[in-house]
Amino acid sequence: MAFGNKKVYGGGCMIDAVRLHLQGIKSALAVRMAYRADFFISILIMLIVEAFGPLVTYLVYKNGASLPGWSMYEALLIQGVFMLSRGISFPFFFGMVWNTIQRVQEGTFDLLLIKPRSVLQMIIVTGFDSEDLGKLLGGIVLFSVSLANIPFPGLLLWLKFAALFFVSLVVMFGFGLILSGLGIVWIGNYRVYEIFYSIANFGMYPANIFSKAVVTFITSVIPIAMLGYIPASQLLGRPAEGTLIAVVVSIIFLFASLLFWKAMFRRYNSAGG
Amino acid sequence: MAVSVFVGPVFFIVQVFIWNAIYSTRETVTGLTLTQMLTYYGIVNVINYLTYDSSDMDLQWHIRTGGFITFMLRPISYFYYAICQKIGHRLLALWVEFIPVYALFLFVFKINLVPASFFWTSLSVMLSFLLVFLTNFCIGITGFWLTKTEGLRRAFLVLRDVCAGSLLPLTLFPGFIQKILFYMPFQFIAYVPIRVFMGSYELAGISMSIPEVVGLQAIYVVIMFLIYKLLWHLGTKRFTGVGA
Repeated sequence: MAFGNKKVYGGGCMIDAVRLHLQGIKSALAVRMAYRADFFISILIMLIVEAFGPLVTYLVYKNGASLPGWSMYEALLIQGVFMLSRGISFPFFFGMVWNTIQRVQEGTFDLLLIKPRSVLQMIIVTGFDSEDLGKLLGGIVLFSVSLANIPFPGLLLWLKFAALFFVSLVVMFGFGLILSGLGIVWIGNYRVYEIFYSIANFGMYPANIFSKAVVTFITSVIPIAMLGYIPASQLLGRPAEGTLIAVVVSIIFLFASLLFWKAMFRRYNSAGG
Repeated sequence: MAVSVFVGPVFFIVQVFIWNAIYSTRETVTGLTLTQMLTYYGIVNVINYLTYDSSDMDLQWHIRTGGFITFMLRPISYFYYAICQKIGHRLLALWVEFIPVYALFLFVFKINLVPASFFWTSLSVMLSFLLVFLTNFCIGITGFWLTKTEGLRRAFLVLRDVCAGSLLPLTLFPGFIQKILFYMPFQFIAYVPIRVFMGSYELAGISMSIPEVVGLQAIYVVIMFLIYKLLWHLGTKRFTGVGA
């Protein structure tokens, strides 16, 4: 939950940061619980919306066609991991994107500047999105169903998977920083989400369907493959080429996006709120 | 809007890779060849720029914030206001989004984006334009009864896109679902204009000539218009606004 905060805050305030984050979640949930029925319906709807993603893959396989070299459940597992990664990021820290855009547009971003915590931390903490828990639920369902239909991976594979899955969250955090940074200077533009979705699409499919240049790009330039394909391929026991490079690039990506965010933040101009 | 010029083609590139991989082991999938499949996705992409609609969101926003009250006092109807706004937006999209992406598909991706019959295609796209507007407008009208409808709206949009064939060709669905989809109005939003563009119509094993299917599309537009009239009548009766 506090993956993000650790990066922002060295070690010292770790417990404090976690406590703050939990407080943010608690108050966001309290607000949402005012309309309890709407909350549960929204989560359910989010779950259904998410289910349409793998639908195409399912239909392709049901029609007797396939992604060469991958069984249906292997392909679905990659998409399950992708959804799981988003399911954790979106509610717990990716909310910083819409939170920044909304606050900058409304003028309430200024309020965070005078809080006794770093602005980045406040943006994450106040951006908890309970509705997106539906994504997490969808991810868990798809992941479990696919896993039940392939040979069960051994402990070592699970450990490797867990490590790489963590890196996928690091990459998501990097994307969050970039989009949030864009939100500071690109006023009111929620379409940054569409840009992200279109690019992230490349991480949902086995890399061998892409051309050599694209594979190099999504593993060693912007580690999009890390969002789904690379962790999933470990679990399937068919490790992706260039996994190690992708891990290193992911870490660099995180720091680069942090620098980007800070640069954008320095350019912030208040319109007086 | 310029964002679309990036997003649309990037989504399309992913589709190109996926379908190339799928077709590497076989000639056709549900009767469509690779070229036809990519043409399908190419057409979906460009037609969407011409028919895209947000009247549901706008109407619900006006109802929730109470801003709707000012429209009740104006000498033109909200319907007229909304459709004129849409026409304006889409005319802008025509040269900001449609033309650049069309050129990109035609010259860079070498997708054959030349309609089988220019007359029937433009007629069908125009009808689809109206149909998208009317269905979305009706969803917007539900705001008179439901206060917070964001989730419901999103679910409907996904359902609409799946049933309309905007996300995948309807022929990929199992036979009995195709039969259900055939009798639903959604196919006239995307699937029909695309097939008219390609020059042949077929769904659930039923083939129709182009004039027939466009005629059917026109009938659905009229039906949708009547549904809108009814819902609007019931909804505005319910509406109460204070201040604003």
